[in-house]
Amino acid sequence: MGNWYSNSNEQGIVVSTRIRLARNLSGIPFPSRMTQEQINGLKQKVRNAILESNTPFAKSLKFIEMSAVPKNEISAMVERHIISPEFAAKADNRAIILSDDESISIMIGEEDHIRIQVIKDGLKLEEAYDIAERIDTVLFDKLHFAFDSELGFLTECPTNLGTGLRASVMLHLPVCESAGEIQELGDTVGKIGFTVRGMYGEGSKSSAGLYQISNQVTLGISEKNAIDNLKIITTQLIEKERSAAALLDKVRLEDTVYRALGALKCCRILTTKEMMNLLSRIKLGINMGILDKEINAIKLLVEGQPYMLMKKYGEMSPEERDICRASFVREALINVPT
Amino acid sequence: MLCENCGKNTATTLVRTVVNGVVKEQRLCSKCAKGYTGLPHGGLANMLASMLGDITDTHFIGEEAKCPVCSASFSDIAKTGRVGCAECYKTFRSELLPYLKRVHGSTKHVGKVPNSAPLSVVPETENLESLRSQLSRLVSEERYEEAAVVRDKIRKLEGENNG
Repeated sequence: MGNWYSNSNEQGIVVSTRIRLARNLSGIPFPSRMTQEQINGLKQKVRNAILESNTPFAKSLKFIEMSAVPKNEISAMVERHIISPEFAAKADNRAIILSDDESISIMIGEEDHIRIQVIKDGLKLEEAYDIAERIDTVLFDKLHFAFDSELGFLTECPTNLGTGLRASVMLHLPVCESAGEIQELGDTVGKIGFTVRGMYGEGSKSSAGLYQISNQVTLGISEKNAIDNLKIITTQLIEKERSAAALLDKVRLEDTVYRALGALKCCRILTTKEMMNLLSRIKLGINMGILDKEINAIKLLVEGQPYMLMKKYGEMSPEERDICRASFVREALINVPT
Repeated sequence: MLCENCGKNTATTLVRTVVNGVVKEQRLCSKCAKGYTGLPHGGLANMLASMLGDITDTHFIGEEAKCPVCSASFSDIAKTGRVGCAECYKTFRSELLPYLKRVHGSTKHVGKVPNSAPLSVVPETENLESLRSQLSRLVSEERYEEAAVVRDKIRKLEGENNG
């Protein structure tokens, strides 16, 4: 089984699903106010609670001290969404518990003591939540979580208080985007406690038509309701994107898709941004049945990110990387007919 | 309106600072506000900081209450948008509740309740540090009988550590 971005057949408009639970221990300060000694103690506690549990998933999990991970690999982990940019920014004294397929990552010492993340390809909200919930229960049996009967799970930032749940889906909405509807989408979902962000998180301007929709409200709403609401929004967005795409002129659409394919198959220098925008058109072509489903545009898009490329091909300057990226993508698409 | 600092972007955050008792208000974009509050990222955390900041001036009068576990004051929380520890939610509950209501539209958790979760937040193990903070809280609340029990526990633990 591959990770979220390599299962091409599962992806349609919904690229991936992510569930995150924020948890803290009682009796010690939240991470911003912790001493090094307290952080070390926390890492050991979480490590023992998970790895010494006899649950089936514990076998696939590995404890990693982030100080032992090279800087470039940490950035590559952000690019494939295993860790948050916030976690990477001060990775040195933090640790992570990671599953073999990288679908489960338990970040220790981020904004909260524990952040349980489950990431899956396609739309799999219940499946992902179920896994996160089981890990949560295992941890709760061993550790003493900060929980308040009125306020729920207590978190460093009050915006996560209550369920501590952030459920998100990443959608590919290139047609809505080109119609200028994303701003309106943000306004609409904002009214019901959801938010729209670019692919690479808070503040990132999305390119490539990739947007993450996630819940903002965590207090006064149950996990199930938050997930159900996200599912309803997602279903509507899929419908909206599909119906907008159906109205596109067939020849013009084919022209756009094949021009992108032509550029990717022939380029010699390719920036990240250009790659993402061209691959977005390739993905639209796949979703619309113009191109073969075997092409995995998302996998290329992730593996073509700067640090992912250097993970594979070694340290490079940005200029060298653009040349390397062009040859990487050309090679991957070599057998795709134009 | 445009940001009062850079004059380029739309102002999204009200930053209120109190210097020597003089209140200064600035309407900033998220980029400039980030530099102001020292927060690692913008968005809700900044917004919350500015929302909490609305009442910080009333808290600068006299000696500020501090959390017995992490010693954060409410103005620390208001400044950063970050709560110091779980105990802070108890210590500064009445100050925090109106803002939780504004952020979430509710102040009542309706989600998962862990099986053996306690009704209040208490430390897992009774270590010296947590007992001492309990003691000072009980004393400040004038709950002397309970404080005496905790004091005895501290003495016992100290005895064990020294022996």
